[in-house]
Amino acid sequence: MGLVAGGAADVIGAFGAWRMWWMLAKNDVVRRYRRSRVGQLWLTLSMAVMIFGMGAVYATLFGTPLADYLPHLGTSLVLWGLISSTITESCSSFTENEGIIRQVALPRFSYLLRTIAKNLFIFAHNLIILPFLYVLTASPINWHILLFIPGLLLVLANLAWIGYMLAILSARFRDIPQIVTSIMQLAFFVSPVVFKPSQLRGDHPVLVLNPFSSMLDVMREPLLGNLPGAASYLILLGLLIAGWLLCLAFAGKYSHRVVYWL
Amino acid sequence: MAHVLLDNASVELAVYNARGRALKSEILRRTVGGGLQNDRDRSVQVVKALDRVSFEARDGDRIGLVGGNGAGKTSLLRVLSRVYPPTSGRVSIQGRVSALFDLSMGMDVDASGYDNIRMRSIMLGCDYKQAEAIIPDVEEFSQLGEFLDLPIRTYSNGMLLRLAFAVSTAVHPDILILDEIIGVGDAEFAERAEKRLHAMIEKASIMFLASHKNDAIMSFCNRALWMKGGRLMIDGKPQDVLAAYAADAKGEGE
Repeated sequence: MGLVAGGAADVIGAFGAWRMWWMLAKNDVVRRYRRSRVGQLWLTLSMAVMIFGMGAVYATLFGTPLADYLPHLGTSLVLWGLISSTITESCSSFTENEGIIRQVALPRFSYLLRTIAKNLFIFAHNLIILPFLYVLTASPINWHILLFIPGLLLVLANLAWIGYMLAILSARFRDIPQIVTSIMQLAFFVSPVVFKPSQLRGDHPVLVLNPFSSMLDVMREPLLGNLPGAASYLILLGLLIAGWLLCLAFAGKYSHRVVYWL
Repeated sequence: MAHVLLDNASVELAVYNARGRALKSEILRRTVGGGLQNDRDRSVQVVKALDRVSFEARDGDRIGLVGGNGAGKTSLLRVLSRVYPPTSGRVSIQGRVSALFDLSMGMDVDASGYDNIRMRSIMLGCDYKQAEAIIPDVEEFSQLGEFLDLPIRTYSNGMLLRLAFAVSTAVHPDILILDEIIGVGDAEFAERAEKRLHAMIEKASIMFLASHKNDAIMSFCNRALWMKGGRLMIDGKPQDVLAAYAADAKGEGE
């Protein structure tokens, strides 16, 4: 219990240092495109190219009409970008901030919040595509869209504990980032990003045992005008509670050692 | 009110070589068991950087740290700046701490001078309003003029140091931690930098200075600690401590 309290103090303290990680995250996004003409719009443009390119191929492969398939693929790709890059970049949250960690005492979780905030900024840029896509394909939009916000928060809260544990592990074992990158590549293909969950049986293990399916479900379905499955919410809530308890105990035990591993 | 208390504080650094970092060796170690392992082939080496150090510092203390390379001075400074949590013992530090180890920490070469001032001051613990308030002071001291509008990647090394020094010394902490007295820039700037650093030392409640220069310790400090092999040997008046340190170094040289 003492360990969990120690981990919780770190996480709460990190929110108090919001100016720092907010500013660094903003700078991370701006920096990448400072000297380019189109600037941050590159994020949006490359995502748009990806959606229409993949859409044309897979709609033919699956034999579904483009107008029916594109909203699913576009929304899934944008959401997958958030999930996947948050997880892979979390691994380097500590190793990339080595210079700061060695000079300033800040709660360790602040560096995770930097990674998450940066990916949220990028996600916001990609989100711009979706309204255009929905109008173009006449995708139905209704009040279910309001469920997107709680869905997003539920996913972020889960990504935060996964990322925190990965960041600590990656500081100690430098193989972890490579392993995580491979796992996320595999996860892209076994999660309903390219294909629709309805193309599988509802109780298919890919949908039930793969938490990424649930994450996609609670964010994507509201945007497409559908109600997410109750099972998805239950799975994510269960993961949220069990995951944070595990993560806080883990962080309480190891997060103060991170500086010695860098 | 600033206050520092170290009670038997130790820092053990585990140094991992490439094998220690690898997950494979960790898994093998756990599964194969210790019996098969050659003890001399240990991939993790533990270095005792600080060994049961105890002392107390109160307002007005100007403490110099002396000792050879690898004596634990930098580790002690890192403990004092709250960067290293002690691996055993107790450390209590009250007051806002600022360490000037790496002046250019957190600077972004593609951002303008002004943006870097803001970013750096927030890293030093200011809020947005305080960060803006620092700008005129840095402008005046660094004398970089309109260069501050340019990305700092266009700066020369000297200009970069001017900016980094000006920002790092713009915020006054309760506890100031210095690794050597920093000299920057050309003769004219170096003189102003020295004055500014002196003012900063004056305003700090407690100051720690690690230095190999005896005259710096003598002129800035009213107390000195001699570190050797991670242990605190003597805590006393600068002249006494320096004399003991010099005698020891001489004895070892012979």
